[in-house]
Order: sequence, then structure tokens, then C-alpha cells
Amino acid sequence: MQLSQKQIQHLFLRAGFGFFPNESAKYISKSKEQIIESVFQESKNIRPIAYLPYPLSGKEEKEGVGGFQILKMILKSKKDTEELNLQWIFKMTWTQAQLREKMTYFWHNHFATNTPFAYLMQEQNNLLRTHALGNFKGMLLAVAKDPAMLIYLNNQQNKKAHPNENFARELLELFTLGEGNYTETDVKEAARAFTGWATNTKGQYVFNEHHHDNGIKKFMGEEGNFNGEDIIAIVLKNKQCAKFITKKIYSEFVNPAVDVERVEKLGDNFFKSGYDIERLMRDIFLSNWFYDEENIGCKIASPVELIVRLKKLIKLEFNEDKTALEVQKVLGQVLFFPPNVAGWKGGENWIDSASLLIRLSIPQYVINETSIMMQGKPPFEEEDKGNQKKYRGKVRADWKEIVHNNTFKNNSQLFDELVLQLIQCSPTKINKAVIEENNAQTDSVKKIISVAANIMSTPEFQLI
Amino acid sequence: MTTRRDFLKSGSLITASLFVPQFLKAKGIESFKQSYSGKKIIVIQLTGGNDGLNCVIPYTNDEYYKLRPALGIEKKDLITINTEVAFNKALTGLSELYDNGNVGIINNVGYPEPNHSHFRSLDIWQSASDAKEYLQTGWLGRWLDLQNENALPHHLIEIDDTLSLALKGEKLKGLAFRNPETLFLASKNKMIHETAKQVESDNHTHSVVDFLHKTLAETTQSASYIYNKSKIYKSTLTYPQHEFGQRLKTIAELICSGSQTSMYYVSLPGFDTHVFQKGAHNKILKTYSDSVAALCSDLKSNNQFNDTLIFTFSEFGRRVKQNASQGTDHGTANNVFIIGGNLKKAGIYNSMPDLINLTDGDLNYTIDFRQVYATLLENWLQQPSELILKKKFEKLQFV
Repeated sequence: MQLSQKQIQHLFLRAGFGFFPNESAKYISKSKEQIIESVFQESKNIRPIAYLPYPLSGKEEKEGVGGFQILKMILKSKKDTEELNLQWIFKMTWTQAQLREKMTYFWHNHFATNTPFAYLMQEQNNLLRTHALGNFKGMLLAVAKDPAMLIYLNNQQNKKAHPNENFARELLELFTLGEGNYTETDVKEAARAFTGWATNTKGQYVFNEHHHDNGIKKFMGEEGNFNGEDIIAIVLKNKQCAKFITKKIYSEFVNPAVDVERVEKLGDNFFKSGYDIERLMRDIFLSNWFYDEENIGCKIASPVELIVRLKKLIKLEFNEDKTALEVQKVLGQVLFFPPNVAGWKGGENWIDSASLLIRLSIPQYVINETSIMMQGKPPFEEEDKGNQKKYRGKVRADWKEIVHNNTFKNNSQLFDELVLQLIQCSPTKINKAVIEENNAQTDSVKKIISVAANIMSTPEFQLI
Repeated sequence: MTTRRDFLKSGSLITASLFVPQFLKAKGIESFKQSYSGKKIIVIQLTGGNDGLNCVIPYTNDEYYKLRPALGIEKKDLITINTEVAFNKALTGLSELYDNGNVGIINNVGYPEPNHSHFRSLDIWQSASDAKEYLQTGWLGRWLDLQNENALPHHLIEIDDTLSLALKGEKLKGLAFRNPETLFLASKNKMIHETAKQVESDNHTHSVVDFLHKTLAETTQSASYIYNKSKIYKSTLTYPQHEFGQRLKTIAELICSGSQTSMYYVSLPGFDTHVFQKGAHNKILKTYSDSVAALCSDLKSNNQFNDTLIFTFSEFGRRVKQNASQGTDHGTANNVFIIGGNLKKAGIYNSMPDLINLTDGDLNYTIDFRQVYATLLENWLQQPSELILKKKFEKLQFV
């Protein structure tokens, strides 16, 4: 089967972060199956982010670290995590393994975590990348032993004498089954099974036998001296888990309006495959319905998806790191800083008056060379500086590839060409006259830039 | 991610709103749909966890000085209210308002199973949820959802570049801006403005594109409304130069210009005082108090003070005992301040915190914060609080 240009763009916007403008030409002559095969082939490689070095010296690692060193790490962590954030954006933009990165981004939201230990956040990110297209069971077990997660959901404090239910609850509610598919007793008993799962000060998983509850637990109709692994195995035996994950993946990768029958079928297969994530993604991308009109351009791009897409299209750059982070903040999504364990809600939650205005303004800032004068809310640990100078950030872009990819014959042809490349949803509400009216340029290169920027300033461009 | 459809299925607000007509009829409160009554609320969020115990001080309680040998406010730095309670001297402006009967102090406000994380506790306060519940809308946003079809974002304003969860409704969200002119200029960009004009308001389709177009059209309408209003009254009063003072000035100007905004939201960060608390905390308290005092006198001289309530809260208080770094760690229950020209019960509303019976070193709450919200919504704005807060909370008597 041959895919249209729009369908190819659809695949790459969902299975990745979009195209570089000159990239689409190489796919147009290939069959759907060939393209999809190459998407998976290019994601075979697992390259971790190795930006932050292991923070302990040889001596510290041998002798362990105390409160003071930990405090020092915490103080430095925010800046490190911000740098890590920008490293990841860079990777999202440039990696060949687009699908792996997109899946990592999906799991980053699914297992939303925030700790003041940047290095552990990097390690968790790498863990998610490793398992991103692998087996969900393996990923879940790894996450349950992941130091960042153990810290974030208080499993450090989960001890036989005083069980802490935080991790057990989110495991069932947010990570595997969803609300309404377990009881309060299940949460309590699961918490007992995870007692003693902890991390040491070197950032390694340890099992503290003496804090572990070796009693009999009753969990989801079964009874035994369960440990955390047993709980995870029981949860995964429940088909609801496969359905829950499939539904979330469908709404993220296909359409936020879920087709119940399709999800049911996909979930069945996912369950039968023993939670093979790659298999599930192949089922989705190889289907015919994935390319139906109703599934194209129906999703509001998240701030990160929007930013990375702009980086690919026009090499959007910020004058300094601070600006790049402020933009994520004012748009409502800063990588590694999810609002809570439930992650970013997405969809229409991305949009309010202020955030929409900024989205539409970014291409205008670029062509008019004006500054961004927006600022996110300050972090809690920041001392209030009072009347700080209003921050002005600059953005710049390189339109070369878009210009190279298009020719100007007449206004109408140029508009149609760029709309095809940039707009995924129905473009009927985009007013050609308005865009051309705002395009007083005579030079044909400038014309292309101006029309492209104006199209990027439409509500329609927000949809992928 | 949860889909919109999922949310519609599970979201109790939507379920609740299906029952609105009957509910309203049963109670005979059709008038709740009316958008603008002239009554206003300004919500001030002290971000970071304000140490309420060093604001309103139980200065004759030995326990206070025993637990805070270095941090307790010394007698010379107090403004006494009565034989038990005193203000921190940094709150001089507030204490003067107090003397005029314009301040209510409600002690021990919190919620069950308190969370010590800033993020989570702010979420809980802003969304008015239970400690274990994750809501995607805020209590003010849900108020906005209940207003009639002509409601616009500017009926609920946050003076900031980004919109807080508190102001996000399911159908409509509030308007965030720091400066009316900057907002207006952004919306006036030729391309954006022309696009916004294109939209015929088509309420019958609900595609995502239409949602975006509708939001854009509402944004530009609200932006130009606010910009035009902001030109009517320019305050001549001196506000503190601090950003917070300037934000309160913007609010005063909008109120005195007759903007049809029922609720304003503004936050003042800098309250997370783990280390060397005293100096920094007193400084930020003074900023708060001086700014609020300026706001109140602005409102008074424009005859708006009787129609305005200022409600100040923080996501939690601090631990009672000072820590080893001459600061305090995250606590739980805390006091909130109600300021206005028309209070039913001013002064110290209830008993001061019990410093003896603590839970893990933290104060126990006696009033659920949603009781305060319910009182503001019902008694001040005549709104059905049960629909907005998703539960019935016993009201208080301060207004």
C-alpha cells in the first residue's frame, strides 16, 4: 500500500517528532510496510543519555555518603536536571531512533517522577529508553526497583513496622490497572509485599530483608507470602492491565477519542503476546485505520512535541538555556518536572488563553525578531527577588530547508504547497486571504518564509 | 494520557452539571447563572508554605518559645492584639486593617492526610480535591464553568504569565496576563488578530480545531476588553516597587475601572524558609502586608472595599519546632486571612493552634480549607458550592 504525503507525515509525527523538511522525499516512493520497517529498524539502537557523570567519587562510593554530600547534590540538582532536559530535547530532535525516543517520552509521562537527584533522573530516563519498545513486564519490574521511583513514591519509608502505601497505590491506579480495578485491601497488601525495597546512598536498588514483611498477604484473590515481584506477576495476569496500557497508548498515538472495539482487540493481542510493546506498536502502525482521515491531525501537540517539531522544521533556537526552559514553562510542560505522579494530562489541558497566544506568537517572534517577554512561575526553592528585571528571551530560526523545499510560482500555489507540508488537520478554516494579506514581501524567498510563518501561527498548526 | 472522553465519563463535574437544572430548580436558585454580581474575590497565594505561626503569634504560650528558641518572634517585634495573640511587626499594614475591623484570621485550616510536597499540596488547595484525588480542574475554574454561556476568560483573572490549575475549568479557563498592554499587543499581532476574527462562533461542532478557534476568539475579546478597561482608572497611590505590589496595583486598577471580573488570583513566592528564616520571612511578610494595605486604601477611596474580599492562603504551614538550620520545614495546618470592608465576623475567628497535641510535630487541622471556599462561594458570591466543590462542606460565618 502506498501512503500519501499527509499520511507519511502523520506516521512520523506520531511515531516520532516529525520531519526535517527535506526528509519526506525519501519516503514517498516506498510502500507503507517498507516505511514502517525502517521506522522500527532505526529504533533498534539504544543509545543512553550519558550527559551527567556519576556524582560520587571513588572514596565516597566506597565509604558511602552522608547528609552533607546529599544536600550538596540536591542543591546542584535543579540546574543539572535542566541541562538534562535540554539534552533530551536535542536528542529528540536529532536521533534516528525517533520511535524509541517518542516511546521514552510516553513512558516518561506514564511513570511520572520528580526527584532532586538529577543523576537518578538521567538513569531512570535511560531505563525507560532501554525498555521503551521491549516488554512491559520487564519495564515495570525495573521501574519498581528504580531508585528515582523508590524515592519519589516513598518506598524508602515502606517498612514492615510502618508500611507506606504510596508506591503500591500508584502502581495499581496509574501504572497498571486504573481506578476501580482494585480494592483498598489490595493496596494495603501490595504495600506490605514491597516493604524493604529501597535504594542505598550510592543510588542502587537494595532489598532490606529486615524491613520486609514476610507474612501472608491476600492480594486480588490470591494468598501467599508475596514479595513485590509476585505482586507485579499477579497484576500482569489480569487482562485489565493490558487493556489499560493499550488504551493509553491508543489515545496518545492514534486518537484521544478512543475506539473501544479497536482497543479491545489490540489489548487482547498485547496480552497474548506477553506484553510485547513493539508488537503492539506494529499492530497500530500497520493497521489501515491508523491512516484514516479522522485519526490525522486530531491531537493537540504537547509543548515538547511542538518545540521539537519547530526545531526540525526551522531549527528553532533560543538565545540561552534559560529561554528554552522558560518557553517550556509558559507552555505548560517542563521535561523531568511533571506536575504530579499522574503526569501531564494533555489534550485540551494544554490550552488556555495565555498558552495559546504564546504558541501562535512563536513564529511571529521569529520573523519579526521580537523578544519573548514571558516568564513562568518561579520554583519553590527560589528566594523572592522582588522587582526583577523583566526577562527578555530571543528566538531565532533557519528557514533554509523550508525555502529549499518550496518554489514560488504564485500565491495560491505557495499557500497550498505549504499547507500540505505543515497542516495535518482540515485546513478549510485557514483563511488564505489573511495569510496572503499579511505577506507583503516581494522577494520570493521572503514570501516563502512569511507564508510558512503565518501558517505556523494558526490554531491548525497546533494539531498533529 | 487520559482522553477527553474518559474524563467526561469519570469527571464528576460533568456528571454533576447534568443535574444542574433540577438542582437549581429544586433550590430555586436560577439566579446563580448570573455572571456578575459586582462582588469580587481576590485570592492571594503565598507560595512555598508560609509560616503562619510567625505571622499571628501566640506570644503568651510558653510552648511557642520553647519550640522556637531562635526563631520565635521576640516581644519587642510584636504588635499585640489581645492578651494571647500578637502580629509580627512586619505585618503592620495588616494590623492596621485589623484594628479597623477589616481582617478575619481563621486558624488551623488544612485537610485530612496532609501532603508535605509543595506541588501536591498546592494541587490539592487549587483543585479543592481530597488528598488522594487528582483533579484536572480548579475550584475557581469550576465556578467559571457554572456561569452562563456568555462567560469569557476575563471574568476570572490571574495576574501572571501562566495560568494556575485553580483557574482551569472544564469548559472555560481564566485569563492569565501580567500586563494588560502586553497581552493586548500580543493579541493584536496582525496575523493572530485576523485569524481570531475569522471565526464564526459555531457552537454546534466540537472538533479540536473549533475548540482552538473558540479559545483564540475569546482570548482576543478578553484581551481588548481588559486593555480598554485598564485605561479608565490609573492609580496614583504608591504601591511597593516589588513585583507583587505592582500586580496588586493592576488588580486595583481593573476593579476601580469597573471590569466585570469576579475573581482575581495572584501569588507571592518566597515562603519556603528552611534556612535562616527570620530575616527573609519578615522581609517577604512586609512586602505582602504593605502591598495589601495599599490595595485596600485604593479600593476604599474608590468605594470598592465593601464589595471586595481578599483571601490569603498558603499550601501548608511550617513545622512547629524550628529545624537545625534556623528555619522551619514543611508543615500542615495553617492560618488564612480574610480581608474586606464588609466582614460579618472580623478578628480571630477560632481558637489558636494547639501546640501540645501535634501529629508527627505538625499542627492538627480543625477547619477544612474547603469550608472556607464554600463560605466564599455561597455567602459572598451566592454560588452553589456543592456543585463546585463536589461535596457539601459546612460553611463558616466570616461573611
